[in-house]
Amino acid sequence: MKKYLVAYSIALQETLQRRSTLLMDRVGGFAVVLSLYSFWSALLGDKPSFLGYTRAEMMSYVLLINVLRAFVFTGRGWQTVSEISSGRISSYLVRPLSYHGYSLALDLAQKTVHVVSSFVEVAVLAWFVRGGVFLPRDPAAWLLFALSAALASLLFFFMEFMVSSLAFWTSESGGPLFCFDLFLQFAAGAFFPLDVLPAAVRRLLSATPFPYMVYVPVRVLLEKVSHAEAARLIAVEAAWLAAFALAAVALWRRGVRSYAAEGG
Amino acid sequence: MPAALEVRGLTKDYRSPVKEPGLWGGVKSLFDRRYKDTRAVDGVTFDIAEGELVGFLGANGAGKTTTLKMLSGLLTPTAGTATVLGRVPWRREAAFQKMISLVMGQRSQLWWEIPAYETFRLNQAIYGLPDAVFKDQLEELTDLLDLGEHLTVPVKKLSLGQRMRAELAAALLHRPRLLLLDEPTIGLDVVMQKKVREFVKAYNRRHGATVMLTSHNMTDVTELCRRVIVIERGRLLYDGPLDRLVARYADHKIVRARFTARVDPADLAELGTVTACDGESAVLQVPRGRVALAAAALLRSYPVADLDVEEVDIDDVVRGLFSRPPA
Repeated sequence: MKKYLVAYSIALQETLQRRSTLLMDRVGGFAVVLSLYSFWSALLGDKPSFLGYTRAEMMSYVLLINVLRAFVFTGRGWQTVSEISSGRISSYLVRPLSYHGYSLALDLAQKTVHVVSSFVEVAVLAWFVRGGVFLPRDPAAWLLFALSAALASLLFFFMEFMVSSLAFWTSESGGPLFCFDLFLQFAAGAFFPLDVLPAAVRRLLSATPFPYMVYVPVRVLLEKVSHAEAARLIAVEAAWLAAFALAAVALWRRGVRSYAAEGG
Repeated sequence: MPAALEVRGLTKDYRSPVKEPGLWGGVKSLFDRRYKDTRAVDGVTFDIAEGELVGFLGANGAGKTTTLKMLSGLLTPTAGTATVLGRVPWRREAAFQKMISLVMGQRSQLWWEIPAYETFRLNQAIYGLPDAVFKDQLEELTDLLDLGEHLTVPVKKLSLGQRMRAELAAALLHRPRLLLLDEPTIGLDVVMQKKVREFVKAYNRRHGATVMLTSHNMTDVTELCRRVIVIERGRLLYDGPLDRLVARYADHKIVRARFTARVDPADLAELGTVTACDGESAVLQVPRGRVALAAAALLRSYPVADLDVEEVDIDDVVRGLFSRPPA
């Protein structure tokens, strides 16, 4: 366990060391939130609510997207892909170390930095919106939200890990990873609440794990679902997580076996 | 002395997928794969005793790196067995991994943006080294490798030589009993090469560690290894003392002659291959079996002032082995 803690602390240092990359990432994320904010402000106009969201709720949704992007969608899939295709992965495979654990530690380090930064950004934006933000008073809503977001973060980790593992078989797994990232953000509700979509598409998406990554946690925090319903959603989310964790580990093992069989 | 490595009939076929080009080809090959087999290592057998320092030679593509990868557990062989420090490497047990280290001159395990010391700390945790052991070993390595202040500078700011030495230190912190070195001096200048060589020698002596190294650098081999294993096209070609390699693979000797009068190089050609001749002196390559005859003929028919017969330089022999075309 200690090795993963040390990996976490080193990765934290490294993330902070790459200040310009970090800054650009944050500016990019902030730009997304800012444009979402302007878009929804214009759309709402003088209307008290839209698609069942009050103005304050919609602003909360937009701000939460910034936090959840940082917490859920920060990952090192690209590094995994490059480590596999360059053969650098060898240096991990000859050491007594689990690459999953190591990756997760590094992921968490990046997430830490990004989440802290997103809190600052959200505070600035919230001040800008001046009280027009919805925050639940019920501590249970916060608790359920935290749980749902934590599971979402792990779910993303394993999903991304699976897609990155394709690098064991194809030298072009950067492509799938890119498509995956974009589609994921759309289907998770990181661009807009999924309520915008036609009912048929929504039904289709609700049968996938994607909405659990942003849309569900946000609705839990905005108290759009009852506690019982939130608990049910979290249970489904946990099941998705278990399925993807198992599949990711199995695919990785197969990848390593094929790497060992075919050489790198 | 007990054998550190027992390798029997080790064979590796690379199954390279025959893949249609493009992304779709990649996805398709995930489900319907066709393979082409290439034999990279072919029935290699040898033993290495604990504490030995062995050079592992061969041309590019001869199968050296593939063999090292099998011995470190990265690759599973197609056939054959290997016992390394009493374990089967490709099971990749933690207990095995803690006893070995694989250093590839062209690969780095150091974190790029931060000082090498941080990678060392990570390896301390990975190998579960107690603080006291870590401190001891770090001191020794810093001293032997002359690392000092380089450990606190971000790795990306280090020169190649400094980085390679930090790389070696990172690989040796857990004091491995077996060290597999793949081209440890590649890309280094002469001074750094010497430092790395001296270090490998010192480490081998001090800890009785077994070392197996591949190198294209002749000095690495001649200065470090008394025993060499040569493979060619995946097959074991030679396993024995370095000096006997010369007798075995140099099919000719060098005959040097100095003359008292001018000699036409064209006349000398009947005795052997003339590699240099300025009229007053000549260097000839003469097939082993005909050296005596050639020397006698020279003395008889030419105005010889001085005559020398030498073995071919070991570097040339090894270089000759390297330059044999791969399969």
